[in-house]
Amino acid sequence: MNTLSIAWKEMKHDFRDFRTMIFLLAFPILLMLILGFALTNVFNGDVSVDNLKVLVKNTSTGQLSEAYTAFAKGVSGQSGITFDDLKAGVNGREEVEQNRYADYIEVSDSGIHLYGSSRSPIESNIVQGMLSSFADKYNAAAAVEQQDPAKAELIIAATHQTDYIKDTAINADRQPGSIDYYAIAMTVMIGMWGAMTGGSLIRSEIVHGTAARLAAAPVRKSEIFMGKVLGSVVLNMLCVFVIVMFSKYVFKAYWGNHLPLIFLILLTEVIMSISLGLFISYMMKGEPSGGIVMIIVQLASFLGGAYFPMGDDTGGFLGSVTNLSPIRWGNQALTEIVYNNALTAALPVMLLNMGLAVLFLGAAAMMMHRKEGI
Amino acid sequence: MNVLELRGLTKKFGDFIAVDNMSLQIREGEIFGFLGSNGAGKSTTINMISSLLRPSGGEIRILDRDATKQTRFAKMNLGIVPQDLAIYEDMTAFENVSFFAGLYGLRGNDLKERVQEALEFVGLSDKAKSFPKNFSGGMKRRLNIACAIAHKPKLIIMDEPTVGIDPQSRNYILTSVRKLNDSGCTIIYTSHYMEEVEEICSRIAIVDHGKIIAEGTKEQLKATITDVKDIRIELKSLDALDLEQLKSIPGIRVLSVQQDDNMVRIQSDAAVDNLNRILKQLIDSGMEIRAVEEQAPNLETVFLTLTGRNLRD
Ligand SMILES: Nc1ncnc2c1ncn2[C@@H]1O[C@H](COP(=O)(O)OP(=O)(O)OP(=O)(O)O)[C@@H](O)[C@H]1O
Ligand SMILES: [Mg+2]
Repeated sequence: MNTLSIAWKEMKHDFRDFRTMIFLLAFPILLMLILGFALTNVFNGDVSVDNLKVLVKNTSTGQLSEAYTAFAKGVSGQSGITFDDLKAGVNGREEVEQNRYADYIEVSDSGIHLYGSSRSPIESNIVQGMLSSFADKYNAAAAVEQQDPAKAELIIAATHQTDYIKDTAINADRQPGSIDYYAIAMTVMIGMWGAMTGGSLIRSEIVHGTAARLAAAPVRKSEIFMGKVLGSVVLNMLCVFVIVMFSKYVFKAYWGNHLPLIFLILLTEVIMSISLGLFISYMMKGEPSGGIVMIIVQLASFLGGAYFPMGDDTGGFLGSVTNLSPIRWGNQALTEIVYNNALTAALPVMLLNMGLAVLFLGAAAMMMHRKEGI
Repeated sequence: MNVLELRGLTKKFGDFIAVDNMSLQIREGEIFGFLGSNGAGKSTTINMISSLLRPSGGEIRILDRDATKQTRFAKMNLGIVPQDLAIYEDMTAFENVSFFAGLYGLRGNDLKERVQEALEFVGLSDKAKSFPKNFSGGMKRRLNIACAIAHKPKLIIMDEPTVGIDPQSRNYILTSVRKLNDSGCTIIYTSHYMEEVEEICSRIAIVDHGKIIAEGTKEQLKATITDVKDIRIELKSLDALDLEQLKSIPGIRVLSVQQDDNMVRIQSDAAVDNLNRILKQLIDSGMEIRAVEEQAPNLETVFLTLTGRNLRD
């Protein structure tokens, strides 16, 4: 009960803080607008598809081979994708690892295997999408054929005329445009701003002098702690919600078909960020921690591609550093889900966020317990 | 019954001892004054009683129970008016009192009534819906008090509740302290203002360097210094004043200077007749004497005699 009233107080408090609200809402929306339209050129749907090179080893026979050949021919004829046959003595996977090809496909009678480059997930997704679309059609045709050969003819025939790029629209057409990109990037960035709220949770009570009253009141430290975390989680999620809805309905950004899952991921990010901020503020022992938290958030935003996209193929040192940014994880997971319906991308990032949150919260709680007052 | 008892309470900040083995008993119904100059350790003591600080040693007992063991019981019976304002500027007066009172388990209509009562008590009921950021200093101090009393604690500790406010608000606060006391509250009151303490406190402790150096009713405290006279000499200018020379005059115990009104204050043995020598010395060194008066002993004299310092140095 105390936890709830502290949470409620926390929210009321922040809501009335006009400057904070502007900062939390107007700033990212403005940034989305400016970056989204200023950088339109960076995002051209064709660009990434233009240079998409796929390596193929086809050992299949019969109908599958036939269907596949038709598919490959159709695709490479009309899009920027090139299918190269695997030459003898060349290791397909290595080629992908060396970044010479975006993907390596093995087509055999037992099925189709795809090896995508983790450095270019968007490209891989496109190929994966087209392949699964092809596989679906082929399977459907095969299934129908067993029952009614006449129909199979029709479907396979139709397959030949199919524009696979259109068919796999979820991938190819849905390359993020700049406003789409920034809608996701800014939202994930706002989620991380929870670190700033978290960083000031305790300090604000000390500055207001109200820490003295809270310490004197018959509430447990854990109740104060949980109440504050809860209040700021709700508040930050509200901001995230507003940003998503604003970008979706005002800027017409594409958010895919799995919004609830996306909010769940963002929730874990917000919890993680608030815990991080709280942890840092306890590490600083009451000294202002805002500066440090700010630097961390800005670094994470920059590396995570909130201001301009960090290419999927950013290699070397910068490439590995970008992977430390929670905004990067969030961005990638959300992109996967929005543009590829890859729901499985949600779990790792959620687990990672929650794991870190538990670590940060635990450490902060321990420091709070030891500290005098709150 | 002792509402508050301190047994050997100690607080160290590193090597510095802010509160030094302090023992004290405060009985039900008292208004207990805590007097001491800046840094004497008053707030540190209060902050330990209110659990903002952890004692380095000793025991705090509230209503005869160990406050560090039965924290909930202790806290429920304690109201605290911190020296630094402890209110949320962007929550209305009502919301402030209501939030804190809510932490003491008050709910619903009960809570609402108590909050209104508390605001009325400090004269802020017409400001219930206003934000403290638009309040005067005195109104903020009054709200600071309202936040401490809505849950009707048995013991209220006020750490300089009147610092830096207008006389009108101060009178209001002093009257409310008396009313609280009349309604059965025991009160601990700290202040830099001697007159306030003298006016409302039934018993007083003088704190210096973390220790209680004197304790009793004001009459008892004043009685301890019958052997001292308190002389004030107003000069035209303090420029030529030689304190060392004055100090060498027999009988003089404490000398202090109030720069703002060109006043020299002298505490001297009542038994020694030295006024003539003092005046002669001042005149000889070319100073113009404007007025001389001997002050009846008051708490300030007591304080000055015991600590050798003015309360508001
Ligand atoms: N957190 C702290 N760390 C180190 N020293 C402290 C701390 N808090 C207080 N002190 C020191 O302890 C001494 C007592 O301070 P305290 O605030 O209790 O004095 P006070 O009697 O309330 O003075 P005032 O009349 O100015 O309010 C001071 O010398 C102060 O500098
Ligand atoms: Mg103090």
